[in-house]
Amino acid sequence: MDLSQYAELFLAESREHLSACNHLLLEWERRPAAPEPVGGIFRAVHTVKGMAATMGYARVADLAHRMENLLDHLRRGGQPPADETLQLLFRATDALEKSVDLAVAGRERDADVADVVADLDRAMARLAPAAAPRALAAEPELMPLPPSSPLGGTGRLISVVLRPEAPLKGGRAMLIVRKARSLGEVQAIAPPPAAFETEDFDGRVAFQLETARTAAEIEAAIRSVGDVERVTVVGEAAGEGGEGGDEEHVTPVESAGGRSRHIRVDLRRLDSLMDLIGELVTAKGWLNELAAERRDPAIDDVAIQVSRLSADLQAEIIQARMTPVWQVFDRFPRLVRDVARQLDKQVAFKVEGKEIELDRAILDELGDPLVHLLRNAVDHGIEAPAERRKRGKKPEGEIVLAAVRERSSVAISITDDGRGIDRAQVLAKARREGLVDAHTDALTDDQLLRVLARPGFSTAATVTSVSGRGVGIDVAMTKIRALGGSIEIRTEPGKGTSFVLRLPVTLAIVRALIAAVGPERYALPLTYVAETAEFGAIAMTTMEGREAMVLRDRVIPLVHLRTLLNVGGDAPPARRPVIVLEMGERRTGVVVDGMLGQQEIVVKGFEAPQGTLPVFSGATIMGDGVPALILDAAGLL
Amino acid sequence: MSHTVLVCDDAIFMRTMISDILAQAGFEIVGEAETGSQAVEKYRQLKPDLVTMDIVMPDMGGIDAVREIVKNDPDAKILMCSAMGQQALVVEAIQAGAKDFVVKPFQPSRVLEAVQRVLG
Repeated sequence: MDLSQYAELFLAESREHLSACNHLLLEWERRPAAPEPVGGIFRAVHTVKGMAATMGYARVADLAHRMENLLDHLRRGGQPPADETLQLLFRATDALEKSVDLAVAGRERDADVADVVADLDRAMARLAPAAAPRALAAEPELMPLPPSSPLGGTGRLISVVLRPEAPLKGGRAMLIVRKARSLGEVQAIAPPPAAFETEDFDGRVAFQLETARTAAEIEAAIRSVGDVERVTVVGEAAGEGGEGGDEEHVTPVESAGGRSRHIRVDLRRLDSLMDLIGELVTAKGWLNELAAERRDPAIDDVAIQVSRLSADLQAEIIQARMTPVWQVFDRFPRLVRDVARQLDKQVAFKVEGKEIELDRAILDELGDPLVHLLRNAVDHGIEAPAERRKRGKKPEGEIVLAAVRERSSVAISITDDGRGIDRAQVLAKARREGLVDAHTDALTDDQLLRVLARPGFSTAATVTSVSGRGVGIDVAMTKIRALGGSIEIRTEPGKGTSFVLRLPVTLAIVRALIAAVGPERYALPLTYVAETAEFGAIAMTTMEGREAMVLRDRVIPLVHLRTLLNVGGDAPPARRPVIVLEMGERRTGVVVDGMLGQQEIVVKGFEAPQGTLPVFSGATIMGDGVPALILDAAGLL
Repeated sequence: MSHTVLVCDDAIFMRTMISDILAQAGFEIVGEAETGSQAVEKYRQLKPDLVTMDIVMPDMGGIDAVREIVKNDPDAKILMCSAMGQQALVVEAIQAGAKDFVVKPFQPSRVLEAVQRVLG
């Protein structure tokens, strides 16, 4: 049986369990006397062990096994763990995570676990001198499969999910294993039968079964045990051809009263689906143009129907790509704790709005910028406990990471209650480096952010290993801008700093205003379009030496796209549209030659050649097949 | 021909209820036991087609009774009667040789389904 096809599934599930491990370790560290965390950690590690053994990842399974021994001892002992033990468990969890990744990448040999394994064994020997390595004999299924085991042979991987309402699932699982044993040889049961006896066994069991029976026979036999929701049989039976079992890979799901079900889908599938939908949207645009030209009601009807269907399809696929932010936020409590510990600071970390959803492609890119900003918050924002006490604050600082859904974007804020950014210090340094006019005597929040985001700008007296303010913001800013988002900063001396990241909900397809400049067309995402006005018909003025217009008592600086982009062609009409872009508090009017209406565009990334103005965020293909560049609102502002 | 059943439970209420459920479905209740040791003894005498076995009983518990019965008759068809929260005990009973289990409070349909499975 080819196990590699389960590698991704193994990776995803292992990560979930290891993430749970980290959370529980943090909880245990906070409340060492609480008995619940250790049980949960034990089960998580245990599950990883069972899965790793099934996959044939001996080193991962072995590390997990040693952790499990220690955890089992701690669990039974019921004593609060020594700090040293907790730190060892944190370290072991990291090592396990790393070796899981390596194993899946086919480089299990590179997993360097010797030190942590030795430390685990030493800790075990110290805590329980008598309990020499716990006998595995009682649970032979747990042992990592020897390399010579017939993993590549005739075994099938059976996974069974019991009905959620089934009582005493452990008992049922035991009956299933017994039933399977009546069909052939059962190995690598995950979780191992010992887990069936615990009340929180969740009703999922998987094992390898070596049998000549067909998949249908196996499934029927297992279902006959009762309370079975789902049986998945994968792999070849003895003597069956390679292709025979293929269709069984599809997770067979019996519809049970309209409950929503989940399957895991390779992200690349969603990406290529998105690309296809993109092309469909382009073709649809073309069809609409043709229909408009022909004025044939029959073609019109088809065009309308295609439009509706593709809009529905698009909405569905975008929905399928939506991922709750906790998938990225989940690792941050551990990160904040580690950084705080390293810097001898006390930080209470809160996460809000975990369930808010973002396009997977955006979420994947968000991890790094958030890591930078969180590190900054701990390092530069939160003061040392003594300093906080002196200022009449609680010794424990607070950092809140919150996601909020706004109209067409998601705002993610990182707020600390630390010392705030010293504007005077930043200003002095900015002046010295010639980043602002010598006579500037105060920085607005916007200016402050622009100064901080200069590559390499740092006011940190010493750049610690954790962060040097400025570097992180620079990286974060570039990334967020590339995603079509924006960053805002608010800071108050002594009270704290807050960064707000605004991101589009989805990257792939946006509504945009199509503007004409000379012979070219440009797309402006509607997310940042506040309104339009008419150049040549409104009052003009200047603002800091720049041309500006007055719109309802507000002075808005102007950018002539024609000049900015150096577009040739006929002279523009005297009266022409101004598109007002808005991002946070900032507004800019973009003067174009004409507006061609609104349309959905499919965003394609593009590699800007060196020297290109930083005002494009991507490209799109128009209905007629001609490409157009997408203007980046943040760049124009 | 109807199947014969031995009902083992220390509570009269439970024995009555199980007996009623099974009798209404056409089974013949041939005996009852209040303790594990009684269950072992009566199984030997009556050779019933099916045994329903409570887990927690005085004198000898249901799991030990299962072990004793299966030792003498490996094909004995024993249905455990358990309660929520007895996961570990149920697993132990199955390892001891019980064929299936039902969970209190009993739903007649579930009891009968389990009985059908046990009798195959």
